[in-house]
Amino acid sequence: MTQLLRAQDEFLACLLDDGALLPMGWDARRAAGMAVYRNAYQTRLIDVLRNTFERTARLVGEDAFSQAAAHHLITHPPTSWTIDLAGAGFAETCAELFANDPDVGEVAWLEWEMHCAFTAADGAPMTPTDFAATTADFDARQWDELRLELIPGTALRPVTYDLVRLWETLADSQQAPALERLREPKWLLLWREGEQPVFGLVAEAEALALANLQQGGTFGEVCVALMKYFDAADVATNAGTMLLNWLELGMIQRIHS
Amino acid sequence: MTDVAAFGGFGLGLRRDHYRDFLAGDVAVDFVEVISENFMVDGGRPLRVLEQVRAKLPVILHGVSMSIGSAHGLDGDHLVRLKALADRIEPLWVSDHLCWTRTSAHNSHDLLPLPLTRAAMDVVCANIDRAQEALGRAMLFENPSSYLTFPEDEMTEWEFLAEMSRKTGCYLLLDINNIYVSASNHGFDPEAYLSGIPADRVRQVHLAGHTPGEIVIDTHDRPVCDAVWNLYGLAIGQLGEVAVMIERDDAIPPLPDLLAELDRARTIAATTRVEMAL
Repeated sequence: MTQLLRAQDEFLACLLDDGALLPMGWDARRAAGMAVYRNAYQTRLIDVLRNTFERTARLVGEDAFSQAAAHHLITHPPTSWTIDLAGAGFAETCAELFANDPDVGEVAWLEWEMHCAFTAADGAPMTPTDFAATTADFDARQWDELRLELIPGTALRPVTYDLVRLWETLADSQQAPALERLREPKWLLLWREGEQPVFGLVAEAEALALANLQQGGTFGEVCVALMKYFDAADVATNAGTMLLNWLELGMIQRIHS
Repeated sequence: MTDVAAFGGFGLGLRRDHYRDFLAGDVAVDFVEVISENFMVDGGRPLRVLEQVRAKLPVILHGVSMSIGSAHGLDGDHLVRLKALADRIEPLWVSDHLCWTRTSAHNSHDLLPLPLTRAAMDVVCANIDRAQEALGRAMLFENPSSYLTFPEDEMTEWEFLAEMSRKTGCYLLLDINNIYVSASNHGFDPEAYLSGIPADRVRQVHLAGHTPGEIVIDTHDRPVCDAVWNLYGLAIGQLGEVAVMIERDDAIPPLPDLLAELDRARTIAATTRVEMAL
């Protein structure tokens, strides 16, 4: 290991840990300089988290958010060249720190996925007309083996709170957050509509169908999975209705048959 | 490595607060500079905005994460994405800082100081060679502001920059505020710094504000102070054709305020050149 490499490892260790000893031979002037770098590191990254997780901060309050952000920096110091990824894993940190308030982890997850979707690769959604033309001559085997590619940035997770309502109220710092537990299991579905990430609540059946497609499942496999939720005679109709809805929302960008 | 042609003009950093102004109409600047990493993304609105601005104005890509002084070497993914962005935008040039930001495990997202030693020179030059080769173009590197120096330093910062440029063929981005900040913090003469810089290698000048104090901090959150304007006047008299920019990253004011500061930079440059011609 070269001397410079060792010195840089030592410098960064000092930067990340307020309690770390300074390198041998450093005087008070250098210690004061290191304090500037330490403060800049923490301030910059906590500001980045606060900007990315604005609604989460509003939900838990400034002090609790600052503590959670500082904790996250200690447990998950940034590794990527882009500061945009400094918030990776923060939703999980919030879920752990606010375990009795699952709404916090759910809002943080939504903010993080919105952040990621904003700069996801640009998709070129298929229109229902294009899809109909492409699949017009499909036989049963082709439908069974059809794979649908969702547009980049699409994300899904189960939620316990009405995130649509909660999100709206958290947009306004003067409004009390609407904490309404869902009466039945729902999933949050997020995708990008043009340049704008959007989201909504969907039933478990539709969410699992989409999750199946995301993992490379075929339309036939999706239909089999849907038999848990619908009578066998109704599965094809329900799957077709979902598919048309996804096409109309611009969520399908390519098919592989 | 190809030369970086000089570009004389006055510009601003393109920041989100002013996207609408730049998209809506003509802003009285000759170029804009953007933070490269903000646009090294897969897609979405930021890239669309940059392409629309690029259709109107020359763009400079200014990076903060190359970590050219890193003893761990450069990040391959960063280089690949920067090359893709440069190919897409066709910037006037690509720049970054004389600093390091990361180890193999973690990234500070700060411009950390290098010891000014022969060993650091070897690392920096090897990394610059790799970056310029990967990008297929010569780069500019900016003098950083710093809050500490190292006991093992073997040369001054201006000596380091001059030798680095000579060895690698890279060009320099001279941040006048950073010279002022580091001179205040470390007690060197800023005029000696300016005299030691190879003027023919400087292609761009940054002007910014700082926070005074026992340790002066480069905050980019306020107007350029008179001392930095004075230093700029001296610098502009020594440099050839350069691109001059006001760099504001925090407490960003309305665009007319920044344009007024840019006008002051224009006036000082014009006055200095007239005085030199007399």
